[in-house]
Amino acid sequence: MSAVTRTNLLSAPSRPRITATTRRQWTTGFLFLSPWIFGFFAFQLLPILFTIFLSFTDYKATSEFKLGNFNFVGLENYKHLLIDPLALPSMGVTLKFALIGIPLGLIIPLILAVLVNNRRLMASSFFRTLFYLPTVIPIVAGTIIFNGVMNAQSGWLNLVLKALGITDPPRWFTDPTWAGFALNLLAIWAVGNAMIILLAGLQGVPTELYEAATMDGAGPVTRFIYITLPMISPVVFYNLTIGVILAFQYFVPALLIGSANGDPQKSLLFFPMVFYREAFVFSRMGYASVLAIVIFVVTMIATGLLFYFGQRLVYYAGGDIS
Amino acid sequence: MRKLMFVFSVFMIASMLLSSCGTPANPQPIAAATDTLAAPADTAAPAAAATEAPTAVPSPTIQPPTLTGGEGCDPAATQVTWFVGLGSGTHPEDIVLEKAWVDKYNKSQKDACVILNVVPNTGSNSYDALRAMIAGGNAPDIVGPVGKAGRASFQGGWADVKPLADKAGYDLSKYDPQLLDFTKDEGVLVGIPFALFPSFIYYNKKLFDEAQLPYPPHKVGELYIGKPWDLANFQDLAMKLTVDKTGNDATNPAFDPKNVTQFGFFEQWTDARGIAAFFAGGIPYDAATNSAVIPDSYSAAWKWYYDGVWKYHFMPTADYQNSDQFNKGNLFASGNVAMSWVHTWYTGSFDMSKMNWDIAIMPSVNGKITAKLHGDTFAIMKESKHQDVAFKVLSAMVIDPDLPIIYGGMPAVIADRPAFFAKLDAKAAPNKIDWSVAQEMLKYPDLPNHEAWMPNLAKANSLLGAFRTMMDQTPDVNMDDAIAKLKGDLDAAFKTAP
Repeated sequence: MSAVTRTNLLSAPSRPRITATTRRQWTTGFLFLSPWIFGFFAFQLLPILFTIFLSFTDYKATSEFKLGNFNFVGLENYKHLLIDPLALPSMGVTLKFALIGIPLGLIIPLILAVLVNNRRLMASSFFRTLFYLPTVIPIVAGTIIFNGVMNAQSGWLNLVLKALGITDPPRWFTDPTWAGFALNLLAIWAVGNAMIILLAGLQGVPTELYEAATMDGAGPVTRFIYITLPMISPVVFYNLTIGVILAFQYFVPALLIGSANGDPQKSLLFFPMVFYREAFVFSRMGYASVLAIVIFVVTMIATGLLFYFGQRLVYYAGGDIS
Repeated sequence: MRKLMFVFSVFMIASMLLSSCGTPANPQPIAAATDTLAAPADTAAPAAAATEAPTAVPSPTIQPPTLTGGEGCDPAATQVTWFVGLGSGTHPEDIVLEKAWVDKYNKSQKDACVILNVVPNTGSNSYDALRAMIAGGNAPDIVGPVGKAGRASFQGGWADVKPLADKAGYDLSKYDPQLLDFTKDEGVLVGIPFALFPSFIYYNKKLFDEAQLPYPPHKVGELYIGKPWDLANFQDLAMKLTVDKTGNDATNPAFDPKNVTQFGFFEQWTDARGIAAFFAGGIPYDAATNSAVIPDSYSAAWKWYYDGVWKYHFMPTADYQNSDQFNKGNLFASGNVAMSWVHTWYTGSFDMSKMNWDIAIMPSVNGKITAKLHGDTFAIMKESKHQDVAFKVLSAMVIDPDLPIIYGGMPAVIADRPAFFAKLDAKAAPNKIDWSVAQEMLKYPDLPNHEAWMPNLAKANSLLGAFRTMMDQTPDVNMDDAIAKLKGDLDAAFKTAP
């Protein structure tokens, strides 16, 4: 064994020399990449480093961002996180939203994608456009529209429920029992993006697999479970990962509906909103930076766990189940 | 399967047709359907609501900022940036007048070159813009008009104008000391009194006429239907003016609170402290012990308000407030609210010429009238690099009679008031508004003021805003418990003040 290794080492080709052409290609490549690299450093890496720096200071947004306006407070901001009465409950609000929203955000677009992928559906292009359409509407505009649609008094949703005989329909955005779920419903409205990605996945499944299964007597449900789902599992996994990340960052609709206080009764006080309050309502940039770091770390951990456990269930067409 | 797909396709097409052709989302209430004057289409953002509204709902259309270029300035003049966006002054028509003032001022002297920067507040973007300017080392020199609530968001960011005034030889003694105190934050004079905004009852004459009820009093001491204009009489009137879809008023046992088409009264665009000021002035803070103390008048006012919403139903719940039929928060402008308690700045938030309206005095509570007062000023930022020149501009702004008219504020200088009301009369025509009510209510300010400084004001305001929203949104609340919890939360906020 060792003789073979030695022989291989001896006969191993020497490292190829970098030619002038290769160097020129690299230079050109870096030149093309440089706008992105510059953008990454200036607008992503630098702010992240500043956030970490600020988390050790008591900087307030009412003073200029310059040396002399930062007082180092050590781990004070991190200690405050442990006694912040809103931090933990707001993480609970975020998790509750995620636990309902992520499955809904996978299942509903999958159902829609399967439906609009069906050859027998009339005007399938029309329906694909229709389901995707909400995605192009700005989130602020969409939320304001839904605030009206789900108004307990004049919203058409409750008018429909009343017409169906429900005399006391939910007070969607003013009852803490319903407010979080109402935002989950609002999120469903814009599943078009996930639907399009899943649709692309569905269209990539080889038809001969279905034909073979059909000849073997497999019905639609069996084909879906044993062929469709494994074949689109990488796309489902991608949507799941994006869903988890977006769930931990969920913010704008909650702010517009529940204000910075997370009304009704803090039921819409998501963790990013606690960060927003500290930074932009109370101007406490130091502590807000700690909260931003927490969001980052929690999202990283969740994504890491997802990759560790979830990817084992993903089937890649190369034949590996990694 | 083919059949299922067909059914699905038909269902989708049918549902789309139904949603476009079905019942309108905004059914007209019976009262409104007969009221041709009752629905002014003014959907413009409220002038001063940005500093007060507990839930500012952003508009999908964001008006772009305005930045002038210092036209007409002397080349050697020091640039002074005037930021508008924390209160009133951001309507397009206001900006035209502000630009005109800047041009006039820049051409009138050679020391300062005023650059006007207007950022309309849609949600919180003007606040964010100001924060970005401060952080970037480009803090504006002058900010305003701005009230106490707007200043609280930049607590500690304002310059003390007293030494600037002393240095410039500006005589502050000509101002009422109480008015100067009103312009102080944390004991620091952050501006010069400029415009006052007394509050009173706006009432919709059409709805009174429909109910065949006499208009409310315009003079202190007047009786209403033979009885003193007090809380009991006021509540009774408000209930008579609250109507459900079958036409029953709130005094009728058959009244249906789930289908109200017209409310008798609303306390528009204020927080919990503002609501408390209906009963008396006060402050939930004891400086001696640095702790929260809820005045009895506060507790009583909150309980009365809560019962008005949930028990007697003459004030709207949050769902009604945000509904289409009540103009999504600008309730009096919907034409479906008979009386609303707001400040003079509200004149810029509805079409004064289209509605048939007037103003009335506040009712007395426990024998005392209280009309909460707002006061705006222009403030100089601590980060301003040209504070002396900025003060020169500021001192010209506060005495210029043109500016208060833009902002709907009664000039602090009494001699300038007739011109101010004449301008409002022109806007309100053919209505003839009894502005003596506004001047009269100025005599009954809430002391201590409902926007008075407290430690950790931004956090305290957040708690008080949430408390009001809770009252509007939540039935079956034990108000004693809720008030005790608020007290505890405020106490914690005061004790952890930075």
